Amino acid sequence: MLTTLRDLLRYNAGFRIGAILVGLVATMAGLSFVSPYSPIDTFVVAPDMPPSPAHPFGTTSRGQDVFWHLTFAIRNTLAFGIIVALLSRVLSLMIGLVAGYKGGWVDRVLMSINDTFIVIPLFPILVLFYFVMRDRMSWTALALIMALLGWAYDARLIRSLAMSLKTREFTHTAVFSGMSTREIVVREHLPYVMPIVFSTTMNNMNWSIGLEVTLSVLGFTDINSPTIGGMIYWANQHTAMVAGVWWWIAFPVILIIMLFIGLFLLAVSMNEHIDPRSRLQRMGAGGGA
Amino acid sequence: MTGAAALAIDAGQAAPAKAVLRVEGLKAYYRTRHFGVNREVRAVDGVTFEVRANEIYGLAGESSAGKSTLIKTIAAAMRPPLEVVGGSVGFSFLTGGTSIHQATSAQLLAIRWRNLSYIMQGSMSVLNPVRRVRRSFEDFAARHMGGRGAAFEAGVVGHLARVRLDASVLDAYPHELSGGMRQRVAIALATICRPDFVIADEPTTALDVVVQKDVLGMIRDIQREMGSSLLLVTHDLGVHAYMTDRLAIMYGGMLVEEARTADLFLAPQHPYTRHLIASLPRIGDDAPRVGLAGSPPNLAAPPPGCRFHPRCPLAGDRCRRETPAMTVHAPDHRVACFAVGGGGGTA
Amino acid sequence: MRSYAKYLAQRLAQCLLVVFIGINLTYAITHATPIDPVEQSIAAVTAFGNTSPEAIGMMRQSLRELYGLTGGPLEQYVNFWRRIAIADFGPSLSAFPTPVSTLIARALPWTIGLLVTATLITWTLGNLLGGLAGYYQDKRSLKIFAVIAIGLHPVPYYIVAFVLLVMFGYLWPLLPIAGGYGMNIEQGFNATFALSVLKHSILPALSLMLIGLGGWFLGMRSLVSNVVSEDYVVYAELAGVDGRRILGSYVMRNALVPQVTGLAMSLGAVFNGAIITEQVFGYPGIGSLLVSAVYAGDYGLVLGVTTISIIGVSAAVLIIDLVYPLLDPRVRVA
Repeated sequence: MLTTLRDLLRYNAGFRIGAILVGLVATMAGLSFVSPYSPIDTFVVAPDMPPSPAHPFGTTSRGQDVFWHLTFAIRNTLAFGIIVALLSRVLSLMIGLVAGYKGGWVDRVLMSINDTFIVIPLFPILVLFYFVMRDRMSWTALALIMALLGWAYDARLIRSLAMSLKTREFTHTAVFSGMSTREIVVREHLPYVMPIVFSTTMNNMNWSIGLEVTLSVLGFTDINSPTIGGMIYWANQHTAMVAGVWWWIAFPVILIIMLFIGLFLLAVSMNEHIDPRSRLQRMGAGGGA
Repeated sequence: MTGAAALAIDAGQAAPAKAVLRVEGLKAYYRTRHFGVNREVRAVDGVTFEVRANEIYGLAGESSAGKSTLIKTIAAAMRPPLEVVGGSVGFSFLTGGTSIHQATSAQLLAIRWRNLSYIMQGSMSVLNPVRRVRRSFEDFAARHMGGRGAAFEAGVVGHLARVRLDASVLDAYPHELSGGMRQRVAIALATICRPDFVIADEPTTALDVVVQKDVLGMIRDIQREMGSSLLLVTHDLGVHAYMTDRLAIMYGGMLVEEARTADLFLAPQHPYTRHLIASLPRIGDDAPRVGLAGSPPNLAAPPPGCRFHPRCPLAGDRCRRETPAMTVHAPDHRVACFAVGGGGGTA
Repeated sequence: MRSYAKYLAQRLAQCLLVVFIGINLTYAITHATPIDPVEQSIAAVTAFGNTSPEAIGMMRQSLRELYGLTGGPLEQYVNFWRRIAIADFGPSLSAFPTPVSTLIARALPWTIGLLVTATLITWTLGNLLGGLAGYYQDKRSLKIFAVIAIGLHPVPYYIVAFVLLVMFGYLWPLLPIAGGYGMNIEQGFNATFALSVLKHSILPALSLMLIGLGGWFLGMRSLVSNVVSEDYVVYAELAGVDGRRILGSYVMRNALVPQVTGLAMSLGAVFNGAIITEQVFGYPGIGSLLVSAVYAGDYGLVLGVTTISIIGVSAAVLIIDLVYPLLDPRVRVA
């Protein structure tokens, strides 16, 4: 898996750009640990100041430095996305692998349930969830419920991978030569599973962060801890656009777009790489006269 | 003597029917560049032969010998990373005597299906799965047969009868037909324009033995009736024995022997051919069969000299240094081997 | 047609399953939480002044009945389903006494109109362009389009809608950014109204289309580049079939099949995007209704919109499933 990543980084432009974008965003998040301002304090600097050497991204109407506040916001948003992605990995791997390997009625039942969760519109349900939880809605609760609802799409991908691995010749060879199931899964199948897990994780992060931003912007989450959506929410509350405080909105938006495009590029280039049919085309292009 | 010169002498001696297909010195490689690594797989590395009118010419060899690549190249169906690196492929119906790879798209359009057709391996998937069988006939053949009118329909139905298929097949979708029926549709489709040259790539490999015989017989009957030439490619020597007039053996991207089928089976010359023939089961002969040591050559880094020498019981010093060329051994019989007196040059 | 009937039955069963699980999920959320919506509503109402305890008691009782919270758990559950079946969600608290179903019925056509037109256009256009891009791999214009698609597609609906709002609301005020139609125009089947509706729907629709186009484009492009190496396409090329016919009947036709399935699978997400976009532009669909309901603490309305969303999306998916066999004859065989 590591060699795949290294090769992609070296030869695939899409992957490189994606990695750079995500790297920049992660760096921003990392900077939060050296921030001179605490994220929850307000009115620590002069409000509504445009970008300047002292405040590279300006200040908000609540008297916060946009740059440093942004580092916390992106850190929280990123952490949220990672946690949801990890939790839903567990579910999607379990369900996808079991359905793919077992087949038969187990597969049919699981896929029926799976398709249900793909079809159900999640936004109204999340809004309803917020509505009944109100101030008791914590980030943990939100992460948990999103992980419980967002595994379906990826489970399907993993299932088709499991199905194709089950019938491959090298699997039969391994079974006949006496390898235990655990050995087969870890030694033979894992190299195929890892790239899909990687790309689905990227996509899942996009999805969960997108939903979080949307919910926060509408004020449907705990808006007192800084997140990207939260920043935009407060900016709207203070009618930043009308007041001309464009930097309060522009920089979070730019940063989050960078993250989305970066994660997407990583996922797409990994997908392209593992698709065997497009591989021959890509290998041929550029060879010979 | 070079292969081309040998062919010329051969033509003069036997006065056979004129050649419909003439392949000379054909080389086709797969060139890939992936993650900074350049690779060149020499799937077809200097092949010369000809197919005459009204004959069934067989091409045998194990998988990865280059047979599929050879046919793709002959039919001008190459896709990157496959490239023609040298040689020519000439057809009698391609005016101007140029290689098919230099033909204009207008020329290609004219000869495709009308003069040159193809029976593909895996009849399961050669028909468009979302359209009825009738549409495939219309798409492929109507432009050569005067459009999609009643006359065309009658012609198609009549032709289908030859492969013992009912007209109702036309309204079916491919997945509604059995494997054998689909194969017969493929044969009918390939022969409906009465082409001069048909390439058949493993036409019966996916079918069971009983259906196989049926289908092969059908192919042969149609060929005899239309007087077209057939290039039959399969690894199954039994099929070759049943069907072909002449047979060539391919190994490691090159031809190693070519003769009339009977001659090849009765008096094989090349060590590889001898091994292949000897390993065929015969009723009453229960001597144990010995496998060949080693494995087929890696065509990205083929062994120097004769490609077969690492596994050859007769390998000599010369075999490791020079590559033997196909030379005439007997009338209508060519071999590429130094050990049996062929290979060209002085021993 | 017997095999088609079996397929029909399967898809119908799946649709019912989705509705069942979805509504149970809704029920679970509303009834398994520590917050009592009745108390919340009472708190909201009594926050502004003093109300007598008797009045509060009566309010509490009526609210409990309205929200179906009387009786034991089983009775509540049965009641819940019964009221959904007859589309009775009680009166809306924020627009009292208008029933929730009326509000939803008023808003739903706007959402459906926006969603259906935007989705159809993006699906068709995206697949067409993606198909061309996958087939003619060297066309520069399509490559540029691909880059734009990759840039726009992963951005969430809210951000795109918001950026469009800023662009056309503040920077270049060309298009209306709020409402479904001009405020002083009467509703009715006349040209002025229709034109106004059209103008007001441009930005929300554009917002949906910019994101959706990229997804279909990229998907179709990759599907087509795979289909192009399928046996039946290669065979048709070997037979010298006309290039345009191959592109249309052999390549696109086959690549579209999984895209129809994709459409069904993405409806949930597109619906999410649509209602968010509505909220940004104040478009009078159920998205705006939902958000304002939350702000107003209108429990019945939130519940109603959620339920209708689940049923609506499932029905739409069922319709697409029923159309699918027209494109893929293989599904007719059991």
